Amino acid sequence: MISVHGIGWITASGYGTIGSGVCQRLAAGEEMSSLSRRSIFSYPFKNFGRLDAVSRMTTYAVALSLRDAGIEYAPTRKQDIGIIGTSSEGSLASDIAYFRDYVDNGRTLSRGNLFIYTLPSSPLGETAIHFGLVGPLLYVAGEKQSLAAIMDIAADILMAPETYGMLIGQAGEEEALYLVLAPGQESRALCNFAEARSIVASGRDIAGMVDEFSQLKK
Amino acid sequence: MSSVKAVVVAADIMTAYGNGLDSCWEGLLANRTAVARLARFETGAFHSDYGATIPGLDYHCNTSLAMQMLVQLFDRSKEVFPADARLLLATTKGEIDLLEKSIITGAGDAAESSLDHLLGKVANITGARGGGMVLSAACTSSTAAAARAAAMIRNGTADCVLVVACDSVTEFIYSGFSSLMALDKVPARPFDKHRAGLSVGEAAAFALIMSEERARREERTILGEVAGWGMSDDANHMTGPSRASEGLILAIDKALRSAEAEPQQLGFISAHGTGTVYNDAMEMLAFRSVVGDRKLPVYSIKGGIGHTMGAAGLVEMIVALRALRVNNVPPTVNMVEVDDDAQGWVANRSQDVDRNALALLTSAGFSGVNAALVLA
Repeated sequence: MISVHGIGWITASGYGTIGSGVCQRLAAGEEMSSLSRRSIFSYPFKNFGRLDAVSRMTTYAVALSLRDAGIEYAPTRKQDIGIIGTSSEGSLASDIAYFRDYVDNGRTLSRGNLFIYTLPSSPLGETAIHFGLVGPLLYVAGEKQSLAAIMDIAADILMAPETYGMLIGQAGEEEALYLVLAPGQESRALCNFAEARSIVASGRDIAGMVDEFSQLKK
Repeated sequence: MSSVKAVVVAADIMTAYGNGLDSCWEGLLANRTAVARLARFETGAFHSDYGATIPGLDYHCNTSLAMQMLVQLFDRSKEVFPADARLLLATTKGEIDLLEKSIITGAGDAAESSLDHLLGKVANITGARGGGMVLSAACTSSTAAAARAAAMIRNGTADCVLVVACDSVTEFIYSGFSSLMALDKVPARPFDKHRAGLSVGEAAAFALIMSEERARREERTILGEVAGWGMSDDANHMTGPSRASEGLILAIDKALRSAEAEPQQLGFISAHGTGTVYNDAMEMLAFRSVVGDRKLPVYSIKGGIGHTMGAAGLVEMIVALRALRVNNVPPTVNMVEVDDDAQGWVANRSQDVDRNALALLTSAGFSGVNAALVLA
């Protein structure tokens, strides 16, 4: 049986976890960029400042979800955990940023540090690097309920088994939600696969899904 | 493990050699490259002016390069796809030329380049109505899609999956690779001692993958089997592979385990073989680690058709299935002086392979992604 072992989320109004019940609201006027990275990550995130917005949200939510699941990570430690993610607009914002910058520079100078974020899978790559995730990495889009489709792919991967744990989630420029899925130990899990799938298939936004997961825990 | 086999019953490709697998196969066997000087856009500011483009495509017209390739590919194949086929579309940048056009000319909407839009178009022209997804994992995208298709069939989620892949040579992509210093000034020379980078190429491909039971029931010709797969990440660097190869080794080990196969059963390796110094060295290290001292035929087709990015894995799978069928692998085009670590493995001539052997296919990409397939 596959269960959900940790959930981390971040929105424009705050961030938190479901299992441990953390819910930090941002003060009026406080922006996400002011969040103490050290309070979210176990160790400093190298070159965090060069990440694009979706990568930042993805890494925040993954850090929170791993903490919620009790999974530790360290700079030299690699773990066979995979990650599958989606986003509402793929890499569109990064695509525009890269190509507009290139055009504004007379179509002669292009910036590699902008180009690398024009792959929709790049936020997942940044996440894999920081957290030492060496399992399958995949960006999925297109289905109306992409997050539910992602859960199904993750379940396939875990049941094969191709890896031992999967992070699945979605991210945008100002919000993200990530879940840690793993087989076994349902009694110690936040919820079972079917319960989680019904919530992510509901079509609600991230804040709405967080509310539903929180209710489930109660 | 489930005994359900995922078999390929129809497949074709469009590359810079032309439309169809035969033109690509013949070009490779002739040791002829389709990489040439680019005329599609101005290249004066870049580190190279070589690429592998498909003649006759119109750039920045009303239809994207990807859709032009796919329409021609499907027109030629005349394959009628089952309406219940699940659709997996693999690409890195899809119709990014629509975004270019929007930003350069102010005409159109940049959001038209979204992968979701392309998925809808592909569903329409293929008639695949079983639901669809875009899968993207840098330059392992279509290898990953073939893997997921086979997994869906093995576990019973689907019994018919259409995998479609495409990526095109655009100013957006070319300028990006140039900024990363990834391009060779001359056509890419995979596994050559003097290799200095990749050549960007474009391609479209499809593979219809079914359960063996359905394929036999429908009296389909079986072109080969996706017998095993493995995916991993280096968790090391965004644009360069881990020099220790541990990520690719992990993917290969997983693929062999998935196929319940031993390295001794492998007859050849279709390598990612981009022509960059680090990729090719990393791959040879992985092959040695997995196979040991037994030197297998290893080849890369990227000296012929360029690096077709998200489409590369599926194109290479379809070429490898042909190689399995004829017991012969193509030469590594453009390789003149084989690098020391590839001596006895890679050749610039075709090589015979054992009958009934399995093939290993490897892919790698930005973000440190790796994917491997075992083909039978």
